[in-house]
Amino acid sequence: MGWEEMQVRGYPEFVRTAQRYHGRPIFALFCGDKDAEGRSWCPDCVTAEPVVRKELHNLPDESVFIYCLVGDRAYWKDPNNEFRKNLKLTGVPTLLKYGTPQKLVEEECFKAELVHMLFTED
Amino acid sequence: QAHKEEDNPEKTMEVNGLPSVPDSYDYDLIVIGGGSGGLAAAKEAAKYEKKVMVLDFVTPTPQGSSWGLGGTCVNVGCIPKKLMHQAALLGQALQDSRKFGWQFTEEVKHNWMTMTESVQNYIGSLNWGYRVALRDKKVTYENAYGEFVGPHTIKATNKKGVEKLYTAERFIIATGERPRYLGVPGDKEHCISSDDLFSLPYCPGKTLVVGASYVALECAGFLAGLGLDVTVMVRSILLRGFDQDMANRIGEYMNEHGVNFIREFVPIKVEQVEEGTPGKLKVTAKSTTGNQIIEGEYNTVLLAIGRDPCTRKIGLDRVGVNINEKTGKIPVNDEEQTNVPYIYAIGDILQDKLELTPVAIQAGRLLVQRLYAGATTKCDYVNVPTTVFTPLEYGACGYSEETAVEKFGEENIEVYHSHFWPLEWTVPSRDNNKCYAKIICNIQDNERVIGFHVLGPNAGEVTQGFAAAIKCGLTKEQLDGTVGIHPVCAEV
Repeated sequence: MGWEEMQVRGYPEFVRTAQRYHGRPIFALFCGDKDAEGRSWCPDCVTAEPVVRKELHNLPDESVFIYCLVGDRAYWKDPNNEFRKNLKLTGVPTLLKYGTPQKLVEEECFKAELVHMLFTED
Repeated sequence: QAHKEEDNPEKTMEVNGLPSVPDSYDYDLIVIGGGSGGLAAAKEAAKYEKKVMVLDFVTPTPQGSSWGLGGTCVNVGCIPKKLMHQAALLGQALQDSRKFGWQFTEEVKHNWMTMTESVQNYIGSLNWGYRVALRDKKVTYENAYGEFVGPHTIKATNKKGVEKLYTAERFIIATGERPRYLGVPGDKEHCISSDDLFSLPYCPGKTLVVGASYVALECAGFLAGLGLDVTVMVRSILLRGFDQDMANRIGEYMNEHGVNFIREFVPIKVEQVEEGTPGKLKVTAKSTTGNQIIEGEYNTVLLAIGRDPCTRKIGLDRVGVNINEKTGKIPVNDEEQTNVPYIYAIGDILQDKLELTPVAIQAGRLLVQRLYAGATTKCDYVNVPTTVFTPLEYGACGYSEETAVEKFGEENIEVYHSHFWPLEWTVPSRDNNKCYAKIICNIQDNERVIGFHVLGPNAGEVTQGFAAAIKCGLTKEQLDGTVGIHPVCAEV
């Protein structure tokens, strides 16, 4: 079985989804909300998403890729939002391997080499 | 035909019938060892657009412990040590806090697993950070054991046993050291070392620390600070190589604050009495001054009796690199070059050099700058400051009193010293006669400060600035002329 993608919005939905797939490798990309035209308020997320999507085929078998919209800009700027507090996210976009200290933040997500490393190496 | 080598990559050579080395190598530089020195050198070389490979491999300990990229400092040295030292200091601060008015009714207890998990998580983020940094700078990293198999050629073996050969114009050996074992029955089976301590998946309990190195005293110190029953077994003196007056003050402080010392004994046998995590171990020890034998029972025995360089099994004989047969250390010239011109060495494995992370980093960076950027600066190994993070911290820079007396003569040095009582210790009624500072001056050279020693809180922070002053040639007069900051320990 290859990998599969789940799209979620907001912290509670993210946590529920991650828990559901406990035991499988979980990778997550956190981005700012998109408007009606599908554009995110976060310009770096707009740049990062295609780079990350291009590397998805390298995900290990059985992986789950969670694409998570965190919320609107005001929610994200709040220093006490649940993503910052509980997941220790410091910026969007963040691409991480759930349950490990391995993550790429902001401009690091633009680099295909680094995304590839995160997806394929231990 | 063997040619006398020069460090000239354009020549090919044939030595003893081995295949000739190609004109073009796989890499400009291969660094063996991904620790403080190795990584600094590799990242620096990448700045000059050199093709660099780093090989890093951790042979698991007898207990099975292993770790990621970053070397000793990051994984099983400075970083976890300082964090656990901090954990112990916080325990002390909680006690002090009541005198400052904080009220809490619950008993304050320490949870080893919580601390260890947090520390290991942080270390994991550092391991990852190094891998990102290397990949970003296009440095090839392989988690594989490197050894020389011929001129300009190494074999890299990964943990699955897959072997690959690589060639390079130049090599830097930065393989570091590993803890030494006693060589007595039961040592490898039952004892742990610093390599295991910082990721131990259970609280060590009642612990015997064997050794009197800074590793032994720092570990004993924080374990006791976390509330454990700790005994230190010392063969002869404490902190060999350090100023002995300071060393004894450190020992005295630890003794008065709950660390037991057994002096002039060495373990001759370690047996398991009970299995468990931790289990129970029986240690039999013999006196170094007579025939007395003693026994003791502990949950954990931590060996900290020294570290040995990882230079014996990396094929140095196959490329003719000289090592000190007795110690395993590699002698180098003042440009970190071994006797084989295209092979360099940095870090803890060097003979007669200080075993400190910043020294390895500095040596690595300057070496690479000399190789690829035309620089000429050599690493300055003189007046390197250091700090021992025992419960009462000790910072030092320059000569110990004994070494100064030996080198300059007792009549030519002047020692100025003082006890001090940190303001923060007054209210909680902590010791008023333990913190101590001294400077050693060379009378014949304008009373230049040639040794700086301070025993007290935040010794590392205090010492750093004075190290810079000493590098600038600080004299006693200049020191006296510097107005103190008040109220801080450093003003003494």
